[in-house]
Amino acid sequence: MSGIFAYRDEGSESSGEGFLKGKSVSVQANMSVAGWPTEAGSLALKGFKAIEDATVVERLKKNGASIAGSTRMGELGFGLRGDEAARSVAEGFAAAALVTDHLGEARLAAAGAGLIGFKPSYGLVSRYGFFGLIPSMEAIGVVARSADDMALVMAAVSGTDEKDFSMPAEEAPDFKECAGQPGIKTLGWVREIADRLENGDRNAFERALERFADGGVTVVEKSFEGFDLFRTVHQVVGSVEASSAAGKYDGVRFGHRCPAGKNWNEMYLKTRGEIFGPLVKPFLFQGAYFQFTKYDVFEKACRLRGHLVREMGRLLGEADALAMPAFRGGFDPREAASVPALYDAFHFTLPASVAGLPAVCFPVGDGGPPVQIVGSRLRDAALLTLAGEWMKTTEKES
Amino acid sequence: MDFSERVWCGSLRSGDAGREVLLAGWVDALRDHGEVLFVHLRDRSGIVQVVFSPQRCSAELSRAAESLKSEYCVSVRGRVENRLAGTENPNLETGAVEVFASEMEILSASDPLPFMVSEKAMAAGEREAESVAEDLRLKHRYLDLRRPSMQSNLFRRHRIFKCVRDYLDEQGFVEVETPVLTKSTPEGARDYLVPSRVHPGSFYALPQSPQLFKQLLMVGGFERYFQMARCFRDEDLRPNRQPEFTQLDIEASFIDEEFIYRLVEELACRMFAAGGVDLPRPFPRMTYREAMETMGSDRPDIRFGLRFVEATDLFRETRYGIFRQILERGGSIKGINIQGHSNSLSKNVLQNEYAKEIVPAMGAKGMTWMRVQDGKLESNIVQYFSDAERKSVLERFGAKDGDVLIMIADASPRVVISVLGQLRLHLAGRLGMIPQGVFAPLWVTEFPLFEPTDEGGVTSSHHPFTSPDRADFDPDDREGLLELKSRAYDLVVNGEELGGGSIRIHDRSLQSRIFRALGLTSGAADEKFGFFLRALDYGTPPHGGLALGMDRVVSMILGVSSIREVIAFPKNRSAQCPLTQAPSDVAREQLGELGLLDLGGGKELPGTAKKEDLLEHLSWVSRIGMDESERPALEEALAEASQLAAAVEKAETDAEPLFSVAPVKGRIRAGGEPVVSPLSESGALFANAPAMKGRFFKVAGILE
Repeated sequence: MSGIFAYRDEGSESSGEGFLKGKSVSVQANMSVAGWPTEAGSLALKGFKAIEDATVVERLKKNGASIAGSTRMGELGFGLRGDEAARSVAEGFAAAALVTDHLGEARLAAAGAGLIGFKPSYGLVSRYGFFGLIPSMEAIGVVARSADDMALVMAAVSGTDEKDFSMPAEEAPDFKECAGQPGIKTLGWVREIADRLENGDRNAFERALERFADGGVTVVEKSFEGFDLFRTVHQVVGSVEASSAAGKYDGVRFGHRCPAGKNWNEMYLKTRGEIFGPLVKPFLFQGAYFQFTKYDVFEKACRLRGHLVREMGRLLGEADALAMPAFRGGFDPREAASVPALYDAFHFTLPASVAGLPAVCFPVGDGGPPVQIVGSRLRDAALLTLAGEWMKTTEKES
Repeated sequence: MDFSERVWCGSLRSGDAGREVLLAGWVDALRDHGEVLFVHLRDRSGIVQVVFSPQRCSAELSRAAESLKSEYCVSVRGRVENRLAGTENPNLETGAVEVFASEMEILSASDPLPFMVSEKAMAAGEREAESVAEDLRLKHRYLDLRRPSMQSNLFRRHRIFKCVRDYLDEQGFVEVETPVLTKSTPEGARDYLVPSRVHPGSFYALPQSPQLFKQLLMVGGFERYFQMARCFRDEDLRPNRQPEFTQLDIEASFIDEEFIYRLVEELACRMFAAGGVDLPRPFPRMTYREAMETMGSDRPDIRFGLRFVEATDLFRETRYGIFRQILERGGSIKGINIQGHSNSLSKNVLQNEYAKEIVPAMGAKGMTWMRVQDGKLESNIVQYFSDAERKSVLERFGAKDGDVLIMIADASPRVVISVLGQLRLHLAGRLGMIPQGVFAPLWVTEFPLFEPTDEGGVTSSHHPFTSPDRADFDPDDREGLLELKSRAYDLVVNGEELGGGSIRIHDRSLQSRIFRALGLTSGAADEKFGFFLRALDYGTPPHGGLALGMDRVVSMILGVSSIREVIAFPKNRSAQCPLTQAPSDVAREQLGELGLLDLGGGKELPGTAKKEDLLEHLSWVSRIGMDESERPALEEALAEASQLAAAVEKAETDAEPLFSVAPVKGRIRAGGEPVVSPLSESGALFANAPAMKGRFFKVAGILE
């Protein structure tokens, strides 16, 4: 377990009764557990001890789960470099792990470890007590060994929270009755996306589609021009939001403070110069560039986002869900150490993040790479049912 | 519309009942009572209620009245009538009457207002106008100026100015204007510069004060001069400063200090009387030395006591280690007796607030405090004092039961005085010892002529033309020079310096010796002040004068919180004008015509329309510092961002901007009542802060 956890409290057994009794769930170091160090892998929160539980933690505990520990993470959960959440599940310390999803981190963390990774619909899980970077796209995702465990965790953590003002008043899907919900009978796939895959990856993706078809799902080919816009829009909107959301990291109320600032402006300039690392700082500068010198570009990017959301809605009107690749051959998300490298590695997971759609990523057997299934907003439970069925098939094979 | 018969809204009284009048002004407020519409009509004289009633006016007029909105500019013809008993409005001077409209013309409509202009509630119990953010007021100053309080401030400012001009005119003073485009002074680091188009590369400066010109007017034989002079200073930001301000500038010949005191005391009394304030005469006088030694300030507030008590000599033989070490290093000990306040200053407050937090922030290492009970001193350190020391402290401070004594000891006597001076004001404010509605003027005199410089020389405390109190000094004896007093005086009211001046040097040889004391060779002096020194060679009369900061004077008389309240179009605290957006970039062409483009040695100039380094700019606006080593990566990030921008600009869409895929309608916290977070009350919210000061997050000062 060395290096997996930033903090563990062996004595913190859950006393709660509930459907998660006996299950252990790990959280990341940017999700508050009262009294635990919550540094989010960043100097911006150095020494920060959470003063109350995040809503997700409170709900896990209330339903009987114990918190396995707080896993190590990269700076502010942007990308997967240095992130150990998936290992906490793969090595058996937890049945499930909560993982920050800015670009697709929960999905790709699971994919690298043979687990299921899930990003819920935007706004379905409370972010109270959570430190994120891209408010309009980020989600608290889950990595788990089984779809059943994942559904139980989602049943516990989802649903409106009066402490989180950003949540729309919507009813959460019933994760305890996943099987009772309309299943996924048609799967669309987008030719232009598949065209981006190298030969080997392309063949594996096509084999996976064939397996879905063999399993009784209708697989239909779709077309969508302008797929590259997802990356552009995510980066423009995401960086502007990050530049704004990171405004709270100033070394005044918490975190590292540079002692050398002689006056107010210098204190902020130096402190904030020191607390952001080599991955996040260039991203914040890009955000500042759009925000302060090219605001029209930011606004246009938001228009393009509207266009992309509309197009995804059109595709999802013609099929129950969309199948997409997750990994991109030759780009290891755990090694991505610069902003362009990150966006290269997370190329295929960005659409669900931009459009706020639920997406699950799981192995479909046959030794091929995992596949990502993207559904309509709030059809989260149906995605988990599909994943559960295929995981069982895969297990039988092996 | 013929306005010649127009009547002031605010002038109508019961005696006007029955009159047909023509009014014109702005709709201050409206109240619609179904069929009857009540309108508060406001002009600069005040407000009167106008009634549109279907019984009294045509259907067409009723319809027209329905379209009225706040701040429409209208004229109304109607009949003045007494209000029914019980419906009078005591908040209006015209509250006994109302005007029944028979004709109305909308002279000019108004857009919806950025903030409420009306300040008078229409009926008792209604809320008064809410306070408006100052920058919003300044952005729409023309609307803000319509508010009765701003109108009153500027009317009263005019009255005060008029009374100054009348009085000085009576006294034989002549108002003469001095130039606004003038020469930058040698020390003019705070000058605003004005480039000359016809002399490319040369600059005028805006005056920080008309000092040299007014002295030249004395050389020019005017004998008594004054001016309401606009002065300019490009100073660092301070809360109650303006980059341009109005100064009453006075200079007279063949006079001495007593003439100035008499003149200015009478003048000040008349100005304050114009605002309804009586100043006590004669104004007391206090030397600079006494002010510093007993109140720690060269502009002391004498509305309350808390004078310092010297205690250094009481502890010459002390065993108390801290005091002994301080005295061995040439330090001093002074204290204050806060009489009868031992109840309001508990041990906890004295030790944990003052000694640990407040006093260190003021610059001293610590504070000693003692409370007097049963004729004895009580504190955490009196045990180290000898009996004789305790007794002498009680005697020297005149201490009685219930008194609290505080002392500051420091190796630097300047620190002792400065910290005790700040403490004096802090304590007086906290303990409610400053009487309200009292004005305490004071002349501070006998300032030192010179101050020591770090380089071992001396520099002028005021300016080099201030006359010393005696001429028999040796310009090479630094110690002797520092002992010299000047013939300068400051007028202080309630701890605020309203103005000051001096008797000037009129003798060329005395002036030369002052320059020598300052280390200026005659060549250097000539270079700096040549035109002025030549003037002194032609029979200069003895003369002196004074300048008063009129914005400050007026705001003190009116009792407003800021000088911006008595200036029609002020700059804000950041020295910017939210209305016009000055100061602003200018076009490169304009700079080119002024010959300014090559002043920067070929480099892009700051403040020109094209910004300097984009990276520096972004680092500054987002307050994220960077090392040189980080530049290449950040440059690359910006190059990538600019490619992204190009891709976004190229893409086409007809979609509306989408900021969230699941937008939230405004949500209101359940319960409605604001509550203090328990995490704040328990202090948990502060537990993660890198630095705290009491119950506040501690940050660096806005200015160094």
